[in-house]
Amino acid sequence: MDGATLLDILGLTLKVGLVSTLALLVPGTALGWLLARREFPGRTLLRVLVTLPMVLPPVAVGLLLLRLLSTRAASGRLAESLLGGPVLLTWKAAALASAVMSLPLLVLGAEQAFAGVPRRLEHVAATLGASRWRVFARVTLPLAARGLLHGSLFAFARSLGEFGATTVVAGNIPGRTETLALGIYARIHQFQDEQALLLAGVSLVLALASTWAAEVWLRRRAR
Amino acid sequence: MSSSFALAARYGDFQLDARAAWDAPATALFGASGSGKSTLLEALAGLRPEVRGEIVLGGRRVDGLPSRTRRVGWVPQDAALFPHLSVRGQLEFARRAAASRAGRERARGDALERAVEVLGLQPLLARRAAALSGGERQRVAVARALASDPDVLLLDEPLAAVDRPLRARIVPFLAALPRATGVPMLMVTHDPHEVAALAEHVLVLEAGRIVAQGAPRDVFASAEVLGALEALGAENLLDVVAEGPPDGGALTLRTARGCRLVMAATPGFPLPARVAVRAEDILLAVDPPGRISAQNVLAGRVAMLQPLGAHVLVRIEAGGEEWVAKVTGRAAAALGLQPGATVHLVIKAHAVRALG
Repeated sequence: MDGATLLDILGLTLKVGLVSTLALLVPGTALGWLLARREFPGRTLLRVLVTLPMVLPPVAVGLLLLRLLSTRAASGRLAESLLGGPVLLTWKAAALASAVMSLPLLVLGAEQAFAGVPRRLEHVAATLGASRWRVFARVTLPLAARGLLHGSLFAFARSLGEFGATTVVAGNIPGRTETLALGIYARIHQFQDEQALLLAGVSLVLALASTWAAEVWLRRRAR
Repeated sequence: MSSSFALAARYGDFQLDARAAWDAPATALFGASGSGKSTLLEALAGLRPEVRGEIVLGGRRVDGLPSRTRRVGWVPQDAALFPHLSVRGQLEFARRAAASRAGRERARGDALERAVEVLGLQPLLARRAAALSGGERQRVAVARALASDPDVLLLDEPLAAVDRPLRARIVPFLAALPRATGVPMLMVTHDPHEVAALAEHVLVLEAGRIVAQGAPRDVFASAEVLGALEALGAENLLDVVAEGPPDGGALTLRTARGCRLVMAATPGFPLPARVAVRAEDILLAVDPPGRISAQNVLAGRVAMLQPLGAHVLVRIEAGGEEWVAKVTGRAAAALGLQPGATVHLVIKAHAVRALG
């Protein structure tokens, strides 16, 4: 394995992780807020649906996604038109699979974060004349920031390691859809243990670096 | 500008059904804990949608309006400062939030500066909420409420979270508020001393109802309020001397007026000079009880009955002392208690507590 291949794998893994996490950020935060702050019929059902990817075998989730993204299905054709071109067997499919698999972590993290913000502070803000949006943006969101960041970090870390669903919808095409997890698996199969170990080491460094960066950022904010 | 409310709600066994009208710069909402004071205040602030009724604050009808447009400066008991903002940030938040709400033309554009001045916050502006003392937190919370240019201040036990020695330092700030800012205040408290120090008008809330209102001096002289006061700690306090060493775990005492009382002795503790018996720890019997474990049975005469919500405070003369017993309204009715009636006080030795 030359350096260029390693960089390809690393770059693709980061791209998939960042894109899937960023894509989740707004809808995942919104879902978490909804679950934490609103009473509505079907709330329990929503929570069950959100946690489903966490309890299903990832390969099964991959299979469901494969069906949904197939161009024979209307949902697949919609995805193609929205994402500008073929999805299956591309990095987009890998990002989508990662997003689905890490959704529960982000949503449940956000729910916890919002639930931890005292209602009393929101009430005070409202009596001072703040609109709902202002209460959310200036009180709720800053106070939930730490929990939201942790949730996003978990989601990002989860997507770095995503294997089961990704391998079904993105295959493992060297240079195109080969992420760290897929690369490690492929090399184990080809009896290239040393290369597999190298990629595993890179995964470890990546995980440590992102966790450390988040901690530093949070600590700076707390000051 | 006059204010009034007529509010009702039900929480399980507790029924809120309170109405009052007042027009004073500084008004106290006074009552024992559990009387519904905070609930009432939160209802005025629009935070209790389940409480129904009419609310007029500063001459403006506000029930049906959301909290945002009620123009109330609500200060909860714990101050509820925003932990992520500095003192200046808290005040700026209030100013911007208030400016963003639709409403009448702003008459008091300098509300924030005035609040800083009246509450002496200049030296604290750069601090974070976590770096403030209890008294400072309360002052910041009040200033934040004022910075939103409210029609009325709603203070929920402003001194409860402040250490006792520090209270004397925040009282002058609170007392000066209505005059210095022109904003009338309604202040919840369970402390008659605070009422006397801070309010010109007092509403007395008892078990969800306003049972009296008026100038503190007049109101605290009336009998209903005596009940509310007693409910805060209806105790029978007695100066005693021990008649001898403890015997079989029981210590016999004699009060200053010659009433003999038996209390449970705690080995190793000094003999008490003062004892207390809670009003609700006294059993009343019309007929003299027969063989009974309670060590004290005193025959007496009912002097007065004071209804206290669903309960009755019974004042009794027995053994040369005046006693207060608290019984349910049902028990009082079942016994047919009337002034002048003969009753027997039954007091367990363990209900007599040493005070010193």
